[in-house]
Amino acid sequence: MNRRLSPEGYPCRRSQAPEWEGTILCLSKLLGATGARLQSRKRRRQMSRISAAVVRSFAVLVRSPRVVRTLLTIQCAAALIAIALSHPAIVAGAAQPSLDYTEPYASPLELLTSPDGSLLYVLCEGTGDVRILNAATGRTLRTIPVGHDPRGFSFSPGGRRLYVANSWDDTVTVIDTKEDRVTSTWKAGREPSSVAEDGAGKALFVADRIGNDVTVLNAATGQIEDTLEAGRGASYMAETADRERLYVTHVYPNPGAYRTPPQSEITVIDSAKAQVVGRIPLHSISGVFHIALSRDGRLGVAAELHPKNLIPLAHVEHGWAFVDTLTVFGADVGRTAEIPLDEIDRYYALPFGVAIAPDKSRIYVTSAGSNVVTVIDTQRMLAHIRAHRRPFAEDLAASAGYVIARIPVGKNPRGLTLSPDGSRLYVANRLDDTISEIDTRTLEVAGTIRLAGPTNVTALRRGEQAFYSAQYSFQGQFGCSNCHIDSTFSGLQWNLEPAGFGRNIVDNRLIEDLRGTEPFKWNGGNPSIAIECGPRTEMFFWRSQNYDDLTLADLVLYIRSLPERPVRWLAADGHLTPAQERGRAIFNRTVDHLGQPIPQRNQCAFCHSGPKGTDQKSFDVGTRDPTDDSGLFDTPQLTSIALTAPYLHDGRAQTLEEIWTVYNPHDQHGHTSDLTKDQLNDLIEYLRTR
Amino acid sequence: MMHRLELVASTALLVLGCGFAAQPQPASSAVLDVPVIFTAAPVYNSLAALRGGERFPRGAKLMLLHNGRIAPLVPELAASADASVSFDGKTALFAGKKIAADPWQLWQIPINGGEPQLVLAASTDLIRPLWMPGGRIVYARRGASGFVLETASLDGSDALKLSYVPGNFIPDDILRDGRVLFDSGYPLGAGKTPEIYTVYSDGSGEEAVRCDHKEAQQAGGREHGRELPSGDIVFAQAGRLDRFTSALANEAPIAAPPGSYTGEVAALPKGRWLLSVHPPGERHDELAVWQPPVAARFSGDPEARPGATRLTTIARDPQLDFVEPALAAPRPVPNRHPSGLHPWTTGNLLALDARLSRSGELRIAPAHVRVESLSPAGAVIVLGTAPVAGDGSFFVKAAADRPLRFVLLSAQGSVLRQEHGWVWIRAGEQRVCVGCHTGPERAPNNRVPQIFAISTTPANATGGH
Repeated sequence: MNRRLSPEGYPCRRSQAPEWEGTILCLSKLLGATGARLQSRKRRRQMSRISAAVVRSFAVLVRSPRVVRTLLTIQCAAALIAIALSHPAIVAGAAQPSLDYTEPYASPLELLTSPDGSLLYVLCEGTGDVRILNAATGRTLRTIPVGHDPRGFSFSPGGRRLYVANSWDDTVTVIDTKEDRVTSTWKAGREPSSVAEDGAGKALFVADRIGNDVTVLNAATGQIEDTLEAGRGASYMAETADRERLYVTHVYPNPGAYRTPPQSEITVIDSAKAQVVGRIPLHSISGVFHIALSRDGRLGVAAELHPKNLIPLAHVEHGWAFVDTLTVFGADVGRTAEIPLDEIDRYYALPFGVAIAPDKSRIYVTSAGSNVVTVIDTQRMLAHIRAHRRPFAEDLAASAGYVIARIPVGKNPRGLTLSPDGSRLYVANRLDDTISEIDTRTLEVAGTIRLAGPTNVTALRRGEQAFYSAQYSFQGQFGCSNCHIDSTFSGLQWNLEPAGFGRNIVDNRLIEDLRGTEPFKWNGGNPSIAIECGPRTEMFFWRSQNYDDLTLADLVLYIRSLPERPVRWLAADGHLTPAQERGRAIFNRTVDHLGQPIPQRNQCAFCHSGPKGTDQKSFDVGTRDPTDDSGLFDTPQLTSIALTAPYLHDGRAQTLEEIWTVYNPHDQHGHTSDLTKDQLNDLIEYLRTR
Repeated sequence: MMHRLELVASTALLVLGCGFAAQPQPASSAVLDVPVIFTAAPVYNSLAALRGGERFPRGAKLMLLHNGRIAPLVPELAASADASVSFDGKTALFAGKKIAADPWQLWQIPINGGEPQLVLAASTDLIRPLWMPGGRIVYARRGASGFVLETASLDGSDALKLSYVPGNFIPDDILRDGRVLFDSGYPLGAGKTPEIYTVYSDGSGEEAVRCDHKEAQQAGGREHGRELPSGDIVFAQAGRLDRFTSALANEAPIAAPPGSYTGEVAALPKGRWLLSVHPPGERHDELAVWQPPVAARFSGDPEARPGATRLTTIARDPQLDFVEPALAAPRPVPNRHPSGLHPWTTGNLLALDARLSRSGELRIAPAHVRVESLSPAGAVIVLGTAPVAGDGSFFVKAAADRPLRFVLLSAQGSVLRQEHGWVWIRAGEQRVCVGCHTGPERAPNNRVPQIFAISTTPANATGGH
């Protein structure tokens, strides 16, 4: 199959590439060339879809590739008109304050200070660049474009190089910090999320979120030399000061037994040997974000989510949905301890960034859902741990023993960094394009740096702000992104209250590219995202007053704009591999291995039909549990299906293979009993391309 | 009645003659730049309503303190008290009597001038009304067995009872998260020590704000809680001020100047508090402003400061108590609670581990839980018994909207632990508990309750109700 590249350079998803797809390419290029400045890749993809709709109609009318080509110019113009008409904000122009199509927001995600503290490096996810600011004045000195959706960056020892992990094009950008220019772009693993160089300058380690591994690159040549198995969703790393040890955290839980607490890990790597030398287990933890180590290497801290997904979500108070915690470890602690950040009536949702003061006196944590930086007194924390031999992660009064300040900052605070002397703490507020500068002596915001970019807030941006905010849930305990990590999924299963206590367990689903996958919920009960996220969410999730209708509309707009991520498992030339071709044939087969017809309803491609792999109907595939009220379940879309384990409506299948080998004894979920192990592998290989 | 008439005459005389301005400490606009409504009364028995009695046995009048002058807010009525200012700061909701012989009824009046309007009338007292989000109000209605918590639309329609056990329930405040803060006795439905509780606006989820009841019992009980912008709930306890703060499981003392306080603190700009205090040696409560302390978070914290050592008197009268201060200014609207009650006649309760308690874990594993209630005559009746799983979990369907008590039994049937007071479950409510009185500071463990391995159908403990 010839996979064409989308305007962003990714393989298009449709297996049949009609003539008008070429037109879309031209149209998108035209849009770019004529200066239509789109907000982000998500907006570009949304635009592309609108354009495609217009062009499709031309194609249907004319039915002649030749004529289509000759009408190219007219089509492009028509598409532009259609785009304008579908988005009144464009027509309204300057008079409309929430113009949706503006230049991209910077969306600062991570920060670093130069070794001498004079410069502040800002990694901007939205604009795909690194901005170098004068730390004293906040003035932007230089902007260096990097790759697609950069997610993490770090200096080489000495700071001569700056490495940037580009999560959507699977590359690492190498920047010479003396000349402030890109010197190399190296291929890395699947969805690079952070990067770190070893002390000897030999190896570069890249944590790959969907590869679930750490890719080892030659730091001189950029050649991939090894791949180390990490946990699921490997994303963030921290090195000891001597760069001998590397600690890796993971945003998704490791596979585990059905209806047991999630487990994650901190993967420990010997940098010199490029070997995994340890795995620190994190019990009952699902999403782990940044990790930091003290300069003396005796204290480590990781920010994480502690979900309560195994008990009925009947109310929210008393940490009933999530508790936000830190795992602390190292010689200073003597053991691994989990400490809560929350309070009895107030929560500090989505702990993300973490930093330890140079003198180790304090720990700083950003709460991305609560717009707060929490400050912990390290000595008090250690004393509290020593005084409580039993775990106290469930004690919402514990934080009073070590938290000394909660500092309000901007929207969706993510990465943070300290000045070398520890006197200043900088916080990247991703969703309002600002950097908060905190005086660590007074623990107050001393200044706020506004990054260059749009000053208006579009509906899409408001929707994204709502998505990442915990303010709508009771006492601010959690938000959409608690269960849809970085707008994806969580890998957890929940017992929702209206479904009955202990009944109708449901797996959390991916929310990429949702258009055309309605209805929602596993029982197919919600026909639209607006209904899915509206009163039902207010009543049974937030348990508190929801967003208003306008915010709901913005939220829906944002969710519908989420694109599918690039396919990473194709051959280098963008074709299906032979195994994937064989798997596709199995997926589409109509007869079994004996040549006997397979009933249509038992063919994979019957229910999992269409571009998204769903016919949007419900079927009984023999997976009803005694605790399920019905055996009819919505046919899930196959978007990025290989990444979203576990499977089936309640998440009982740990792997794709288990769907057929364990939970399909009567061939109700497709005719699979005649498939060999190799054939199942081929089928899985094909599904990786969906 | 005689006393009441005297108060009215006295108040009217004072107001008409000198407008309270000559005798009381003058209100300084430099100290207080927000209009304040308060209740003036010759006698104020703050805890009387919790015993089913009258708080203002000699009558009361709402007064408006504005620009250094004090004037009656509702001169048309024989008595008025319990002002609650609307979220836009324009209207006062209050309890009033057109004539002294009337029961307390609910009224509203524009603060900037206008006629009082009757909101809700009844044949019994309706007191302590509070504005709620969504155009509703909450108040206490005197019933056969005490004051009942009730909510209704502003026009009096769609009334809903919120409390379902014996006792007196007096609303204090609406928390920002939408819950109703109220006073009642501890143990709930059985005791007389004043304690502070919360309940959702549909009557579900009733619980104590904190579970350090022993401290409250020793001190004499908590009353008149108010939530401040910081989220702290400040209340009075044996005349002193204490608070609940989000980070702590137990009450925290407030180092206020000497005096006897009634609670009912109103937050002023710049962190100051307006409160009602009975100064040492004085006969009556007065209104005062105080700058509370800010505790040091760390050594050398520049934000830390001690509280003012003295109160600044705003208004006082040698013959009257000045109580229940409320700022006549806009304030944030609390969150509305989206009720998730199911259309059932019973409720379900899941306990994750009945062995756990703030007063210590049970050493003997409970085998059963007995659900008890009260008959209309007040006798304890058994509604049913349910199994307790090995991990301490149990799951019962219980009779709704009536007193409930859970008694843990050993395999031999002996009582291992029982609740001191009573709780209720609303019809259609599905309630979950970490343990038996574990306190709000205890979050649940993340594990599937073993009782679900036995059945996901709750054991019937409705007693046929």
